[in-house]
Amino acid sequence: MSWGRALSTPVDLNHPGHYLHWGVVQLSLANLVVIGLMILLFVLALIVPFPKGKRRGRR
Amino acid sequence: MTETPATGQSYRPYDLVKEFVIALGVVVVLTVGLAVVFSSPDDRPITLASWSNADPNDFVATSVTELDGTSATATYGPPYTTTSGAAQRIGPLSPQQWAGVRHPVDTAHDFVLDPLERASAHDPLLSLALQVYATAPSAQERAWTAHYSAALAKAPGGDPTKVPAGDYGPVPVMMGRLLGLAQAGGLDGTLQSEGGVRFYQTDYTRPLLYLSDGSYLESRARAQHLAGDQWGMMNETGNYPGQAWLWLYTFWYQVPPFSSSANADALVWGVMAVLTLALVLLPFIPGLRSIPRLVPVYRLIWRDHYRRQNPPR
Repeated sequence: MSWGRALSTPVDLNHPGHYLHWGVVQLSLANLVVIGLMILLFVLALIVPFPKGKRRGRR
Repeated sequence: MTETPATGQSYRPYDLVKEFVIALGVVVVLTVGLAVVFSSPDDRPITLASWSNADPNDFVATSVTELDGTSATATYGPPYTTTSGAAQRIGPLSPQQWAGVRHPVDTAHDFVLDPLERASAHDPLLSLALQVYATAPSAQERAWTAHYSAALAKAPGGDPTKVPAGDYGPVPVMMGRLLGLAQAGGLDGTLQSEGGVRFYQTDYTRPLLYLSDGSYLESRARAQHLAGDQWGMMNETGNYPGQAWLWLYTFWYQVPPFSSSANADALVWGVMAVLTLALVLLPFIPGLRSIPRLVPVYRLIWRDHYRRQNPPR
């Protein structure tokens, strides 16, 4: 196995991009995935309960 | 949750340092992990050498416009040239002119004549061509470049080698030598070092301006969805995610009146400046400042607290 092959990344994204069109909107699939992940994180931040840590000031 | 006896208000203990350390750790792991899995965009840079080798006809056609001062850079206005009426406006205001010409560019001398002058030391034909051009009246220079531009436009594929004989003076010789210099990589070095007076070459302004005057760079950008009317600010080369947070800035360029305005850059900047100011002053704007009260997302986040305050009956 050559060094170049060994050091290459598992997922190579250096290919022509995929784009979605809705009227005037043009959005790359990669950006759509990132935006989806950001929205998912936002929703999780809203609904996932706070961790119940050790209470302070009580013995 | 602890309660202060004096006010009855309840507070939740919060360790900011702990949160910062955890967040830093998560970001470091994500950054390293994603870099290992996906690496980064790896498009080869476009240089004057790669442009002139890939599309010599476009390079020569562009170089003639640099020589006769009709290129986009030569007529851009501040901060590069003093071209009157070229600066963009927002109504009566023209922010582009406020700082003046801070980075003067004379395309004829900086991009064509000076590099050729430096390359002519051992080239008698080029020396003669430059001397003929320099001693000719300005009207004659403009006539030569105009005739040559028109002939290039009519030649098959814009190929300089297929231009018929005509009254072009020394221009074909100059363009031929400039093409050779660019293809060998000499023009990149000359423009970056500004004629050899700069040792550290970190200012790419001139090569970039030269590149942007041609159609090759734009065609490459369009193929990668990086043009202004393709939401290009948000995009990255290949299949990589880009700058999604610039969606609002680039959105304005897609819709009228910005999409068809010659002052689009200034107008979009103005709109974003107003919107940013509104965001900064949000607590003082009636109506907008009431949105958190009218859309109580905070009650969802702190639902345990509000449930305890108003227990179900």
